[in-house]
Amino acid sequence: MNVTINQEENKFNVVLEGRLDTTNADQFQKDIEPLMTGEKPDITLDCTAMEYTSSQGLRMFLMLQKSVNSRGGSMVMTNMNPQVKEVFDITGFSNIIKII
Amino acid sequence: MEQDDLEKYGLDMHCTMILEEYRANYESFVKIKEIILDCIRQALKQNGMFVTAVEGRVKEEKSLAGKLELKGHKYRTLSDITDIVGTRVITFYTDDVDKIAAIAENNFDIDWENSVDKRKMHTLDSFGYMSLHYICRVPKKLYHDPAHPEINEFRWELQLRTTLQHMWANMNHDCGYKGDVEIPVEHLRNMNRLAGVLELADDEFSRIRIAVNEYRRQVQALVASGNFDEVSLDVDTFRSYLNLKPFDKLNNHIAAINQAEIHQDTLMPYLRMFKYLGFKTLGDIEKLQKESSDDAYQLAKLEIGGTDLDIISSTVSVQDLCIVHILKNGGGEDGLASFFDELNGPSSYNRTRAQRLVEKTARMPFMKKQ
Repeated sequence: MNVTINQEENKFNVVLEGRLDTTNADQFQKDIEPLMTGEKPDITLDCTAMEYTSSQGLRMFLMLQKSVNSRGGSMVMTNMNPQVKEVFDITGFSNIIKII
Repeated sequence: MEQDDLEKYGLDMHCTMILEEYRANYESFVKIKEIILDCIRQALKQNGMFVTAVEGRVKEEKSLAGKLELKGHKYRTLSDITDIVGTRVITFYTDDVDKIAAIAENNFDIDWENSVDKRKMHTLDSFGYMSLHYICRVPKKLYHDPAHPEINEFRWELQLRTTLQHMWANMNHDCGYKGDVEIPVEHLRNMNRLAGVLELADDEFSRIRIAVNEYRRQVQALVASGNFDEVSLDVDTFRSYLNLKPFDKLNNHIAAINQAEIHQDTLMPYLRMFKYLGFKTLGDIEKLQKESSDDAYQLAKLEIGGTDLDIISSTVSVQDLCIVHILKNGGGEDGLASFFDELNGPSSYNRTRAQRLVEKTARMPFMKKQ
């Protein structure tokens, strides 16, 4: 999973590419550390090139969402492919993470 | 402290000595104010009470000098002046004034002789300033420092009033006692008429709160007794219902498919969705659970059974119940797409998701019964 973060003040545009699973979840957690600090972050996760997420990936997104909520910010995931979106739907995660 | 500095006020020797005493004890007054405000805030927190404001001030030297100039002869020493530290609690409701008065009585030594309940000073046909003024001391059980006995000796004032009483008092002060111009009786009468209206509004707010609390108690009793058909669906009733954890059984059942962890999320957004689906009472939700839990489980099994997903949101059970309800009632793809639009906001995903669900569930037993 490649993570590219473009930051402009409190706005973060994050491009996610590839698969997110148990083999790279630890690295992903390190990659998104810049998103875990600062007040009122406004985060967009661009999932155009995200191929897959496992349960471990869902846990990472949940952790990020909670951190963003606690700092009064907002997070949205965009351009998910139908397979990835289905993972969020069938686990109920699309009820708790904003996906557009 | 420079005597020369105090002479600028032009007070006589007696009043100047009181001002000197004030300066010498200023830090103790600040400490008294902090002790009082901390104590009140902590007591409010412990009692789960919310108020508009808890505030306090130490009278400024200039203001004290002005008071001494006007009526310095009344005071033998600084201790005779009881409003150098002034504190105030402004409440939302009239009954809270009495509750906070009880808190004050439990925590402070009240000088009853000098305390005044201005609310009880009005005659049947008079309206105006309404506030409870307590003159108090900090008791040793609350704070004791042998090096500063004055902290327990100086008296101070605590005012308790509602937000509307506070507003009236401020406006009355602003309109009635400002400058040298005598205010015409007509305007003073209008201010007092307004006091009557605000008193009525305060009473009405309290009456509404009592009625709402009584309604909540009745609803909680109905929910607890399981008479769900009699309980209409609203924020309070749904919250009380969720306290019974009505969807846990289905969630646990679904989680067992993949030995998944359940992430607990709020189900309150589904109140809106149940209303959207036309549910009127908690009984309607119970009926849905009774009639469709097995089908919702089968749907979840179909969806996550073939995956290695081992985490689900606690919203899954309700989500799947609603999906099954829509499909069973002939809502089809359009019904599902509209439901998802309402739940998560309009998105092209919602139509795709609805199509996928219709295709997936076509062979499920509950669809064959249609």
